[in-house]
Amino acid sequence: MALTITCPICGKRNGYEFRFGGEEKGPRPEEKDLTPQAWCDYVHMNKCVAGVQEEWWFHKDGCGSWFKILRDTTTNLEQAAGEAAK
Amino acid sequence: MNRLSQLPTLKIDTTQKLAFTYKEKTYFGAKGDTIASALFANGVRIFGRSLKYHRPRGLYSLDGECSNTCMEVDGVPNVRCENTSLEDGMIIKEQNVKGSAEYDMMGFLDKMDWAMPAGFYYNVMHKPAKIWPLAMKQIRKAAGLGKIAPDHEIPGKYDEIFLNTDVCVIGGGPAGMTAALAAAQKGLRVILMESRPWLGGCFEYRSREYQSRQTLHDRAVQLAKEVEKTENIRLFTHTSAVGTYNNNLVTGFQIGKKEDIFDQRYVEIRANSVISAAGAIERPLLFDNNERPGVMQAACALRLAKTYGQLPGKKAVFSVGHDFGLEAAIELHDLGLAIACVTDIREDGQNLELVKKIRNRKIPLLKGWVATKAHGMKTVKKISISTLDGQISKTFACDVIVASAGFTPVTGHITVNQGTLKYDSHTGAFLPDQMPEKMHAAGRVLGLEDPKSIEVSGKLAGLKAAFDCENCSIQELGDAKKELEALPGPARGSKLVTAPVKGRKTFICFDEDATIKNIKQAIEKGFDVPELIKRFTATGLGPGQGGIPGHNLPLFVAKYQALPDISIRPTNVRPPLVPTLIATYAGANHKMFKTTPMDEMQRKDGGIFRNIGVWQRARYFSNDFSSRKEIENVRNNVGMLDASTLGKFRIHGPDALKALQRVFVSDMSRVKQGRVKYSAMCNDDGCVIDDGVVIKQGENDYYFTTSTGRAGQTIEWIRYHTRYDGWDFALVNLTDSMGVINLSGPNARKVMEKVVDIDISNEGFGFAEYKTFNIADTIPVRAMRLGFVGELSYELHVPASYMKAVWIMLKDAGKEFNIRNFGVEAQNVLRMEKCHIILGQESEQRTNLLDVGLGFLWDRSKADAKTVGAVALRQAENDQTRFKLVGFKMENNGRAPRDGALVVDDKVRGYIATARDSFSLNEAVGMALVEAPLSKIGTRLEIFEDECGDDRIYGKVVAMPFYDPEGNRMKM
Repeated sequence: MALTITCPICGKRNGYEFRFGGEEKGPRPEEKDLTPQAWCDYVHMNKCVAGVQEEWWFHKDGCGSWFKILRDTTTNLEQAAGEAAK
Repeated sequence: MNRLSQLPTLKIDTTQKLAFTYKEKTYFGAKGDTIASALFANGVRIFGRSLKYHRPRGLYSLDGECSNTCMEVDGVPNVRCENTSLEDGMIIKEQNVKGSAEYDMMGFLDKMDWAMPAGFYYNVMHKPAKIWPLAMKQIRKAAGLGKIAPDHEIPGKYDEIFLNTDVCVIGGGPAGMTAALAAAQKGLRVILMESRPWLGGCFEYRSREYQSRQTLHDRAVQLAKEVEKTENIRLFTHTSAVGTYNNNLVTGFQIGKKEDIFDQRYVEIRANSVISAAGAIERPLLFDNNERPGVMQAACALRLAKTYGQLPGKKAVFSVGHDFGLEAAIELHDLGLAIACVTDIREDGQNLELVKKIRNRKIPLLKGWVATKAHGMKTVKKISISTLDGQISKTFACDVIVASAGFTPVTGHITVNQGTLKYDSHTGAFLPDQMPEKMHAAGRVLGLEDPKSIEVSGKLAGLKAAFDCENCSIQELGDAKKELEALPGPARGSKLVTAPVKGRKTFICFDEDATIKNIKQAIEKGFDVPELIKRFTATGLGPGQGGIPGHNLPLFVAKYQALPDISIRPTNVRPPLVPTLIATYAGANHKMFKTTPMDEMQRKDGGIFRNIGVWQRARYFSNDFSSRKEIENVRNNVGMLDASTLGKFRIHGPDALKALQRVFVSDMSRVKQGRVKYSAMCNDDGCVIDDGVVIKQGENDYYFTTSTGRAGQTIEWIRYHTRYDGWDFALVNLTDSMGVINLSGPNARKVMEKVVDIDISNEGFGFAEYKTFNIADTIPVRAMRLGFVGELSYELHVPASYMKAVWIMLKDAGKEFNIRNFGVEAQNVLRMEKCHIILGQESEQRTNLLDVGLGFLWDRSKADAKTVGAVALRQAENDQTRFKLVGFKMENNGRAPRDGALVVDDKVRGYIATARDSFSLNEAVGMALVEAPLSKIGTRLEIFEDECGDDRIYGKVVAMPFYDPEGNRMKM
């Protein structure tokens, strides 16, 4: 796997060590006024951005933490948080 | 075997003979030979037959650029003989022939080309429709190269190695070596990969002067020595780079030497900076019969002589388009090859010194002439040449045609890593345009041919790599750039693609038998870009990965469509850039299984082990795979099972309960100390993913088990579903540090009494209760009373290091009752009789909590959105289309169906999850997942087993559980 991922605890490591956790979608919706449609969208709908995407990764062969990175899905390269804001 | 000797460039040792078998006869090659060079030395000119037309094929390149010399070696088909070293005792067979390579009964197909136009398998033989099934059989029989048995196990040892480095250099030629040296001198760690077994690249076999009193060969040796003695260069020879990826990952495979522990090794390198110095291959010249045995590339002819000590034939005609071709003609002439004529595609622009040398040797040199046809039924006998316009022609008798139109830089390593190429009208080649980040090209990849330029471009690339690693100044880079600019740039290349011929027998792709005519047909059909034509005609899809046609195809298409230069685009190449064995990717066959603390003892007791998930577990304890004795012993006496593979976790901290509430479907606040709570976890679709028991050890301190298969993902799962909450809890995976013994059967209490000091009467330690105590005042044990197998049973969780001791104590205590082991299969049947489910057995990915009848675990008062799976369960609750888990018995006391058999009527209605002939009940019972309408008690189930034809067996839905429905036995 060509991907490298920078774990906030362990640093830049080989992509083999991580498991993908999906796009960043925010916390689980509130119970109040929750419609089945809204729930389904939360669980199943993805933006599938062609470009920089905020996403979750789990360091399974390392510290065992979940964290977010910014990755350009077209190049598979990570971006520093500052860079993406530009 | 007459070989040239005394050449400093030779890589063979003729004093050491290697015997090999070819067509059931013994031949001899020299040490250092490849299979192809040894066969050639023994007079073999036709190595095999081509894919489609069964045309004879011979030695064309020496680096495996086409499938011409792919043969079956020691039972392995499609071995690239040009770069596979000969070994003593090899058995070599030709492939894709009916008869022999010389006399192939399928050879008539060459005359049938009119019946096989481009893409014929897409557009002929399907009208009328009846023909296709017949035609398909014949086509399939004829298709493909080489034969292999489906159960063939590839011999050899395979390994893998993963490396990190500062700089990775692809290619051990002059540019690669100078690049590696430049980077190494900057103090960086360098890996140098070279696909041939030795360093030197295009310098290695040439006697041209490098500088006064030093040949290119001498220079190559000098550089190689320097590289070998540089400590921070790690050298991988006989290692082809097959892929480059972003973040500078380079993959390759290495062929082992005799003394290595592997035959082939997968190499994966993570580098800070990569240098591509893979050199160039020759662009084939296209003329009629341009692949007849006897036609070969200039470097092939020259290396055959200089590396392997044999002349390519008796009399040659050269048809080349570059100075290297002239150089090869001069060298081969001096080594004794008669040359009838040298034709150069170029009207002018030749190196004058080379022209003079040719004239001095009285070799006729025709400028602006080109080969038009190779004559000879099987091998070359004669050649026709003509002027470029085709007006004037001549013929010469010859047995070798050295043909080469130009050079093709090897740019695959750049483009697979998303670098781009641009057509360069000066060289006529595709040269690197935009390089991938931290990747640099050097040498002939840049179109350079001048030896000094090649080396300095290597040095510059080495310094650029050092700059990437912050070990080089801009000043130094600038100096190296200036040095390169002062030297000759890329040489002007010829642009000619085809001789003036019609092209019916002019092969642009050897591997797939694609001719110029085929390309024209494809274009006429409307495939207008090379990438589409490539697919329709299969040009470049063969094992050579476009090495032969990759450059000519886009040039020809552009010419045919009269396109301007700028619109010429190369076709894509993909990894692996060089054919690689899947076995090499798989690497060493490690036994990657975990063993429990009781592994050894259970093996001593006759356990028969199976790989189950990541574990090796004792599945049976006798050769009776129905496990009858083990089952009956648990039902009537007492047995013990090693259940150490269960996932075991501790969760503690201020927010531990909140985390459990999130992932478990039950209300975990109701877990009472001293009691065992059974619960399950779902995913967000309500599908049940895990079940286990939870124990409260203290306030916000819980111990819980998971199923064997889920243990690896449990921490990830819980952390994932609480990742936004910032809750404070710790999760500890105790799976490997704790072992579990399950002691089950009516006599279990009697055995326990002898081992533990606490009150274990039914009143003192009742069903579903949990206790901690020490055995022999030392060994801390967590004990639970559970009923998975349906009998009185104690589950003892013991630190792994004490497992043996407790196991032996229980065994000794049970001796008087004839205690015995039971395995996973016995447990499977026992729990099935009780209709206790195993997830993955009674469920699949789509099965939700309600389907398997565990809906009672779900606490509906918890907030749906805050409990994983609850929202989906609420929606699925009234869905009548879902599968239901049912129990069934077989009709007429029939046998049990196989697990996974289908429940059918006129279509599939469900499947059998687990079914066994039950000894406890004296009939066959099982559980099945069926559509809801079939789940009513009394419904007849029609069961379809694999290959049963029209014979069905029948079962009937009955109430669950089958054994001890009141559950008295586990509570006694």
